[in-house]
Amino acid sequence: MGETSVIGAGTVVSGHIRGQGSLEILGRVEGDVSVTGNVVIGPAGRVRGNVSGAQLSISGQVQGDLRGTLAVLLEAGARVAGDISAPRVGIAPGALARGHVQTDGESASAAARSPAPVARPLSPPLRVAPAPLAPVAPARVEAKPPAPVAPARVEAKPPPPVAPARVEAKPPAQKLEPKAPLPAPTPARADVKAPLPPPKLPPPNRELRKPDPPRVVAAAPPQAEFTPVRPIKPEPRRPPPPVVPVLSKGTKAKKKKSHD
Amino acid sequence: MAGTVIGEGLTIEGDISGDEEIVIHGNLRGRLTTTDAVTVGGTAVVGADITGASLSVAGQVTGDVTASERVDIQAGGKLVGDIKAARFTIADGASFKGNVDMEI
Repeated sequence: MGETSVIGAGTVVSGHIRGQGSLEILGRVEGDVSVTGNVVIGPAGRVRGNVSGAQLSISGQVQGDLRGTLAVLLEAGARVAGDISAPRVGIAPGALARGHVQTDGESASAAARSPAPVARPLSPPLRVAPAPLAPVAPARVEAKPPAPVAPARVEAKPPPPVAPARVEAKPPAQKLEPKAPLPAPTPARADVKAPLPPPKLPPPNRELRKPDPPRVVAAAPPQAEFTPVRPIKPEPRRPPPPVVPVLSKGTKAKKKKSHD
Repeated sequence: MAGTVIGEGLTIEGDISGDEEIVIHGNLRGRLTTTDAVTVGGTAVVGADITGASLSVAGQVTGDVTASERVDIQAGGKLVGDIKAARFTIADGASFKGNVDMEI
């Protein structure tokens, strides 16, 4: 008990060393070292394995983890590749360490408490940070849905009618193509020449039908192929007559197209 | 001072090799090879083949021993195993079981 063991400079130990007392390693140890006393690894000492003891004083080379119940001291010239954990860790100038260093331990409750709070506060803030971020994102998401509602009244609704009208106008063209005989003549007129007579005739008759067809078109495009074709044409023409004569839109389009 | 000392209470499981004196007061299981003297203290328990220049046993040794010079079993010492050594002494009160070969 308490006796100091020595691994001489000319000795190589291939195996585990464990037990009570202190140990001084001046040679080489290929294996784990676990003692209750202090461990001193001399300048020429080399250890490949984990070392645990009360106080580790390293001046040589260690490839393995260092665990000290009291302290781990790396003296000048020490080269350690491995994790270091002890209540007190000292790394002197000239010592080389590569690995994780943790200054806490069983014997030093105070030391353990100080690092613990640091680690704990870090995690909560991280959680807090994500929380605000998350709400922000949802807020944006929510804001967008409400926003569409508000704009919908101002902008969204107006554009939809316009858009649908245009969209409907376009689809009819496509639809018209398949059904070439009946619709073809009307779109052709709309695109090429002023179809004043044809639009005027259809609008009055189709005014009654107009409200129904847009809904049907929006709800079920496939069905639109049959019925919407007729209502679509009246829609673009409808707004013009009440607000401004159809001539303006049609004439402008014709003029531009003619210029082009 | 001896080059290597295995103190009482210390246990080594593995091989020890070197070129210096080795003193064992603790436990050793494995193999011990050196070019210098080996001393097994009274509190030591060794289960290993020992190779060295000389061997002095005051504790318990189980294993074959090869010594280039001599082997001495002290009073109270116990050795179980074959011995190859030029000189071999067994003190009064020591115990020994094994073969002896002194023709080196």
